[in-house]
Formats: sequence, structure tokens, C-alpha cells
Amino acid sequence: MRFRSIAGWLLLAMVLIATAIVTSSGKAISEQDRNAVLEGASHRHPAGTDSLGRDRIVRVSAAFLLSLTGAVAASFISTAAAAGVGLLAAFSTAGVGTLTMLVCDVFLALPWLFLLMMVRSMLPLSTSPADSALITFVVLAALGWPACARAVYQGALRLRNSEWMIHARAGGMRIRQIPRQVLPNLLPLLLPQFLICVPAFVVAEANLGTLGLGVGEPLPSWGGMLLELGNSAILMQTAWVYLPIAVLVMALLLLESTAREA
Amino acid sequence: MHTLHLTKVFAILLCTAVVAQVASPQAAPRLPGELAWTIGYDPKSFDPAKVDEEESEHVRYLTAGVLLRFNRYSQQVETQLAKSWSLSPDRMTITFVLRPGLAFSDGSRLTANDAAWSIRRVLLPATAAPVAEEFVEPAGVTVATPNDHTVVVHLPKPVVGIGKVFDEIAIEPAGRPSEGRITSGPYFVADYHRSQYIRLRRNEHFQGREGDRLALASANSIRLDVLDNAEKEIRLFQREEYDVINGLAPDYYGLLKQKSPSSVRDLGPSLNTEQIWFNQAAASPIPAWEKTWFQSQAFRVAISQTINRADLARVAYEGHATPAYNFISPANVAWYNHSVSTPHFDVAAAKAGLAHAGFRMNAGHLEDAAGHAVAFSILTNSGNAARMKMATLIQQDLAALGIRVTVVALDFPALIERLMHTQDYEACLLGISNADPDPNAAMNLWLSSSPNHQWNPSEKTPATPWEAEIDRAMQQQATSPTEAGRKRAIDRVQQIVADQQPFIYLVYPNALYAVSPKLENVKAAVLNPGVVWNVESLHLQGAR
Amino acid sequence: MNLLSSLFRRLLRMATVVLLVIVGSIVLVRFAPGYLSDAREMDARYAEGARNELATEAARSGSVGGMLWSEVRGLLRRDLGVSRQYEVPVVELVRPCLAVTVGLLLKSMMLAWIIAGCTATISNWGRSPVSLPGRLCHLTSTVLLAVPIGAMATMCLLADSGGPLLVLTTLLAARDFKFLDRMLRKAWNDPHLLHARAQGVSTPELIRVHLLPGIMPQLGSLATLSILTALGAMVPVEVIFSTPGIGQLAWNAAMNRDLPVLLAVTVMMAIAVTASGFGTGSRPATEWQTA
Repeated sequence: MRFRSIAGWLLLAMVLIATAIVTSSGKAISEQDRNAVLEGASHRHPAGTDSLGRDRIVRVSAAFLLSLTGAVAASFISTAAAAGVGLLAAFSTAGVGTLTMLVCDVFLALPWLFLLMMVRSMLPLSTSPADSALITFVVLAALGWPACARAVYQGALRLRNSEWMIHARAGGMRIRQIPRQVLPNLLPLLLPQFLICVPAFVVAEANLGTLGLGVGEPLPSWGGMLLELGNSAILMQTAWVYLPIAVLVMALLLLESTAREA
Repeated sequence: MHTLHLTKVFAILLCTAVVAQVASPQAAPRLPGELAWTIGYDPKSFDPAKVDEEESEHVRYLTAGVLLRFNRYSQQVETQLAKSWSLSPDRMTITFVLRPGLAFSDGSRLTANDAAWSIRRVLLPATAAPVAEEFVEPAGVTVATPNDHTVVVHLPKPVVGIGKVFDEIAIEPAGRPSEGRITSGPYFVADYHRSQYIRLRRNEHFQGREGDRLALASANSIRLDVLDNAEKEIRLFQREEYDVINGLAPDYYGLLKQKSPSSVRDLGPSLNTEQIWFNQAAASPIPAWEKTWFQSQAFRVAISQTINRADLARVAYEGHATPAYNFISPANVAWYNHSVSTPHFDVAAAKAGLAHAGFRMNAGHLEDAAGHAVAFSILTNSGNAARMKMATLIQQDLAALGIRVTVVALDFPALIERLMHTQDYEACLLGISNADPDPNAAMNLWLSSSPNHQWNPSEKTPATPWEAEIDRAMQQQATSPTEAGRKRAIDRVQQIVADQQPFIYLVYPNALYAVSPKLENVKAAVLNPGVVWNVESLHLQGAR
Repeated sequence: MNLLSSLFRRLLRMATVVLLVIVGSIVLVRFAPGYLSDAREMDARYAEGARNELATEAARSGSVGGMLWSEVRGLLRRDLGVSRQYEVPVVELVRPCLAVTVGLLLKSMMLAWIIAGCTATISNWGRSPVSLPGRLCHLTSTVLLAVPIGAMATMCLLADSGGPLLVLTTLLAARDFKFLDRMLRKAWNDPHLLHARAQGVSTPELIRVHLLPGIMPQLGSLATLSILTALGAMVPVEVIFSTPGIGQLAWNAAMNRDLPVLLAVTVMMAIAVTASGFGTGSRPATEWQTA
């Protein structure tokens, strides 16, 4: 219990530090110091610069705030949607259940890439980077639920047929009481899903950059910074490339510890 | 407690065993003395007449025997299967005399009949060979074979640079096209595993340019791995699995140079250009006021003056690019013109120019005369790191003028749809790769009636007087009987482009290659296929 | 009889999913930007040919109904239709890729299960609820989940060892571990298990008699989830490692708007997804409403 609250405070501290760095730095998020490209730590740039000479610590802080909020919100929505759909399917009539799972299966097999392309083509080209980021996380949340929904459905079915549930039903439990009784029991299924979605969405955002979505330049994209780890030429230049992933791992561990049920 | 401990140990051991099993490295097969490099994707066809993308063209270059070869190093037309060739004074009749004793890779004899059949085949509309267009009127071309070793091609009207056209016509056995399996060139396709590799074997019957047997100098076989992964390519190159990297990415140049300085080559500016242009099409669905900006010469010139090209070359290409101001690269010795005057980096002049054209600053933002804030998006293709960097650098450069720029990267088909079909874009940053130094090859880019006239495609009549003048100059260079006349026309086009900035040229990316120090006889050329243009004399040290 | 009718119902369900996926994919691909454009249009040398091909395709794909009909007819042929990009039968493209991918997926899933099972067991063994090995396993799996596949691939290349199998296995193992660990922890602390432990029942017996039967049904949903994860991770892993498998084929087909190939792949995906739910998810006849 004690550890859990320490983790929560640490996470809050990270957010506050990042906010302080971003607010105190002014325009430095996008400012290019073209004579100091991919440099190591210096007085002007405590964590060095990226491949366009932009201050790395400011960009990582901003990306941390932007992407963590986006990814956490998107995973929350997507996990909640999965829970809702799974419960609905398990606790309604067989027809509704089958139909819902059918939709899930269709959803899982369709090439959504093309839907994303359509979304892009419907947006004006001048969509601001912030709006583009928002839309991206909404899209990720909307597409991330079906796999989890199927697991929830199966878990919920088991619960439905469990002894205590049959007792409860016999005792006159109402439909609207279901979520309150069942959800805590599904937590072992939902919580890992939520925690797995966060880093997956952070990277997925960067991959959507291929389709013109994602966090646009000059806003910093955490996923984009993580993708730099796939380029050995950049890895050779400065060890500060690993900063974003260190921050991500730290944030995830803290988030996990905070969210851990007793 | 004891059993618990044992189970734990067992679990750990099992885990380790599994990880060890998974982590076994992979290796690629290599025959003795084989040369190996990569191509980015599976060629669409091995039929030399149907080549319509780069990788098919690469395979054709390595396998096809041609009457004339355009030497990629000296940029001169040379004979290959032909012993000699001549062009009549009216430039309408070409006569080829074949080398004696020519044979295909299967050992069958190569005669004038085969050559004539191959030329006729590419001219047939049914073949749909892209090279046919270069004859301007392919239907009117006639091919005759007065004897076993002479081929006479008659053109309905003169064609500029006709010699080079024959560089693209592979001579195949008459009546039995084989998709590269039987060739008259240095290699033939022996083995193809889709998405894995193509293996080419040496054509033992091929004669080099001097008539010497190829076997004296060339490798027994070549393996072209289908691989689109720079990271893996570099790693395999360092492990000596590959001998050549064509078109090395600038960021990996430094990495390789650190490890083995002798393996990297920077040949300086290539013929390729990177440019940005504004959508000037009258029919495009963008707001009318934006069209007015984009059609304004002052606006385009101001943008050009604000872009710091030296920074683009230094930051986006790590110094492996050369600032560009026009469409002909300094690498193109015959056509480059130093004396063209161009707008250079000068933000103050740009501001003055914009003010003169009615634009004004309002609270840090540029506005046009009607009060519309100047903002536009730059489209580029995704997956090209250098272009993305350039766009972001330009974004900051233009912020100095008070212009807000959004950068959007799209996948190629979606991008092309906007450029070529819907014309729903504002500005676009792309490159043009020039395979041919002769500006006549870029005719489609400059003629205002062409669909490839990017800033305003398929114009019925030229929209502006300067576009009309470009049209005239391009026609003039295509018909001028003298080289000096052609040069004058092209110089004129360069000057108009510099004044009007329909394309704002940014950089000429340098030609970067990695070559194994073990590879002998390397004479890397700027033109494609780069290092391997003289494939018939390349071989590995000690392999002979 | 009951078995037969259940089998029939499942096959019917699969057919419905496949049909819906076919219609959905055709609509998505046809109306996504770039269906009727080609990168070669930009190259002055090849533009003419590319435009002719596009004109033919435009005429063919004028109506969605007609397109649906011709694509389904193509799929029903023995060669699964003709690839738009390569102009060869789809089956020629799919067959070698399928072997590569199925092998990769099966191997990595099996290995991932073993690793996840072992680590989850290790992690749950301590007597305190959060033991050191448990923390270590969690830390490792979190780190592995945070590293993008591209970075893992680069590490493999730099270390000159490993490949798609290693990365896919690691990814799946890390994910499966998260689920398995929680499941085990919950099961381990169930009253009847605590009771049995207090009574000194030997560990192997504890697992065999009390623990496994309790979590067996949940393993079904874990299996489903890991199959779905594996299918999802297949494309990035294969693309990044240039593995000549279905994932890379699908990616190239998507980037070149090669509808016949994409359809063949999505139909296979649909079958795999529906089949992954076969083992579990049966509903009892009683309905909630009747209670």
C-alpha cells in the first residue's frame, strides 16, 4: 500500500517536472539550433539535441506530457469499451452475444489501414499538429478494443456461470448491478490490457505518421523519438537517444505500481 | 520446500534453454566468387521490353545485350553488340554492323535477324514497351536486315539522342523471348525466389566491348537480394555478405566511414534534384486567394530566397548534398550553365519583395492584401527521412517571414492521387531522379500540355507567357540540328526557371555508395546503376 | 448430433465473418485514397504505361457490386485471382509466404507460452505478495513492452544474433506474462489453495490438483488473446526484418493497393481470428433474462 502511494507521487512529480521544463523553456520545443545537431549534453542543452538541433530535454518533456496523456486516455477508453462490449455480449441474450462477437471478429480481420487513410484524406491538409495528435489518439482508442473485448467476453461468461453469480441471480440481482459486481473480478484481465496498450499506442502514434496522421512537426512525438532507436547511425552519435525510452519505462513502472490492485 | 526449489530451478533452466534456442543467428547462402547486393523490391517483370520500374531496369541493365551502351561513367554512347554504327546526315537512318561470332547465353548464334526482331518487338503497340515512345512516332519506324550482320533502322523523323534509345533495347533470340533466361548480355537470370533473391549467372558467350571473353574478368554469378531495410543492409555489408550498397543513406555514410573509411564513396552531386513547388492549377479545389499567392512570381521568389539551402544540405543530408538552384546539376557536365542568375538566400530581400507585392505583417503573421493569413501545408512522401527533415527546416525558415507551414507526409499512392488526380494540395516537396543527363528526357516535365507538368498539369494552352516560352524552347532543343542550338535553348529554359521559380530547387543529393574494399575494377559513376555499371569487369579479390 | 450442429454453427459463423470481411475490405480499399494512382505516374519515362493500367482498373472497378463479384470469383478460382501489382496468380505469392509465417507464428507462440508460464511461476513463488523475482520479471516485461519492434530489430542486428522469432517470442512472452502473472496470483491466493498450502500439500500436487483446474478455462482466453496479438505483431515484425512472410506481403500489397492479394490475406486473417475463438466461448442454454 505504501509503495503504491509512493509510485503515485513519483509519477505526479515526473509530470510536474516535465510541465515546469516545458513552460520555462518558451519556444525551445521547435527551435532549431542548426549548429548543434545530434550533440551530447552541454550547458545550453543539458540532454543534448536531436537530429535537427532541437533541445532534447524540452522535447522529451513535452512529448511525455502530450503522448502520455493521449496514450493513457486512449488505452483507458479502449479498455473501457472492451469491458463494456464484453459484458454486454456475455450478459445479454445469446443472439446479441453472438452478434457482438461476430462484429468483433470482423473488426479484427479488416484492413483498418485503409480507414486511417480515408480519415486522413477527409481532414484538411492544414490540420494543426495538435488536432492531428488528438484525432490520432481517438482513432487508436476506437480501433484498439476488439481483441480485449473477446477476452473480456470469455471471462465474463465464466463469471456468469460461476456459483456465486448463480446465487446472486437467484437472490434477485438486477441487471444494472452487474457491472459493479463483475468488473472487479475482470480486473486481472483488464489491467494488463490497459498497461500493454499504453506503450503500444505511444509507438502506434508514430507509425501513423506514415499515413499523415500522428503528432505533426514541429510538435515532438514520443513515438517518433522511440523509433529513432531503430537507427543505429543515430545510436552511435549520442547516448541521449535512450532518454525517451528511459522515461517511458519509468512512467510505465510507476503507472503499473500505482494501478496495481492490493 | 525442497520440491519447490527444484521446480524453480527447472523453470529457470527451461526459460534459458528456450531463449538460447530462439537467439540463433541467420545466414545467407553465397556461392564461391559470387557478387551480392540488394534491390528494394521484386522486379515486376524480367521481360526487357516491359521494364517499367527501377528494379526491373536494374536487372535488365545487368542481363541485356544491347547494340549500343550509354557509358554511365564517360556519359558517351559506345558500341556493345554492334561493331560500329552510323547515323545518316538527315539523322533518319541508323545503320548497325554487328560484331562477328555473337551468340546468346544458350549458345545459339545471334544474327541481324535477332536484332531486327527485338527492335520490331518493342515498337509493336501490343508489347506496350515504354521505350517505344522515345522514337516519337514508333509506328513509322522500319527495320531492315540487308545481310546477316547489318541492321538498318529508318525513322520517320529525326530523334534527339537516338543512340541512347538503343541502350534500352535488349537483343533477344528472334521469336522466343525468354524473360531474361536467354540473353546476349553479360549475365542471365538463372534462379528467382520471390521476395528472397534473384541469382544471375555469367553468360559464357558474351563478348566484352573489346571483343575479349568476359570470363577473363567478371564474377561467375551475382545474387540480388530483395531487401528494403537499410539497417540490415548495412549490417550485412559490414559482415561482407554484400559487396555494394547503391544509394547509401546519408546518415549511414558517417557510420560506415567510422568503421571502414575505404569502403564509402561520395561522388558529389548526383543528377537528381529535390524541389518544392506550389500548386498553380486553376482547377484545383484550394481557395482562390491561395491560388493567387502561388501564381505570384514575387511570392515564389520570396519563398526561394528564405529557404536556407546550405542548412538543408548540412543538416538534412549531413553535408552529403549540394545546394540546388536549377534543374541541371553540376554533375551534368555537358548541360550545366554557371552563368544563370538565380535568387539566393536573402531574407531581407524576400521581405521587401513580399511587401512590394502587397503582403504585410500583422502581429507576427504574414497577410495578403485582402487580409488572409498566409499559411499552407507542404506535402511529402512518408518514409524519406531527409525530405521530412528538409520540410521541417523549411517550416522554421518560413516562420521568419510570418508564414505558418504544416508538414504532412503521405504514403505514395495517396500522395500521387492528390498531385495527379484531385490536385488537392498547396505545396509539395519531392525529388526527381534523372536517369538521363540529356534534358530532352525531361521534356514531359516542362511542356505545359503534359500531365507531368507538376505545378499546373495538362494545360490546354500555356497559362502564362513564360510557360509558353519554355514550351517553345523545349521544342526548339528537340528539333535543333546542332548541339550549340540545343544548348542555347536549354540555357534559356534554365534562366526562365530561375526567374519564375515554378520549382524551387533545394538540393542535389550526393551520389553515395559503399563498396567492399575487396571488389576490384570499381569505377563508381554518378548515373544509375552506380557502382555496378561496369559489371562485366567487377570481381572479388582472389576470386579469379 | 449435438457436436455436428455445433460444428455447423461455427462454420456458418466463420463463413459470415469471411463474407463480411470481403465486402468490408473491398469497400475500404476501393475508397481509400490512392486506389487509382501509381507512383510511376510521376516518372516521365513510365507514366504512359502506368496511366493505361490505371484506366483499365478504373473501368473494372467502376461499381462496387461488379468489383465484389469479380473479386469473389477470383478468390473462388484455384489460383485465388491475379495480383494487380505483379500480374501473377495470387496463390503463387501467398503459398511460400504462408509457410514462413505459420512456422514463425507457431514457434513463437509456443516458446512465448513456455517462457511466460515459467516466469509467471517464478514470479509467484515468493511468500510475500511482491517478491524480488516477481519484481524483476515485471520490470523485464515492462521494459520489453516499451521497446518498439524496430529498436529490437536493430539490437538483434547489432548483436548479430536473433531475428524475427526472437522478437516475436519476446513480445508475446512479455504480454502473456502480464496476464498469466495476474491470473496465477489471484488463483494462488484463493481460499482453497491457501488452505491446501497451510495443510502442507506438496507443491506439484498443489499445482496439478488445485491450481491448474482453476485457471484452465482462463487459459482459453489467454490463448485467444495471444493469437490475436501474434497476428497483429506479424506485420511490423516481418516488415522490419524483411521476412518473406504473409505480413510483409500484406504490407506491400497495401502500399501498392493490390486488392486481390490483400483480399486473400484478410480472408486468411478472418479464418484465423474466428478459429482462435473455437476452443472457448461456448454459452450455456440458460439465459440471464430467465433468471
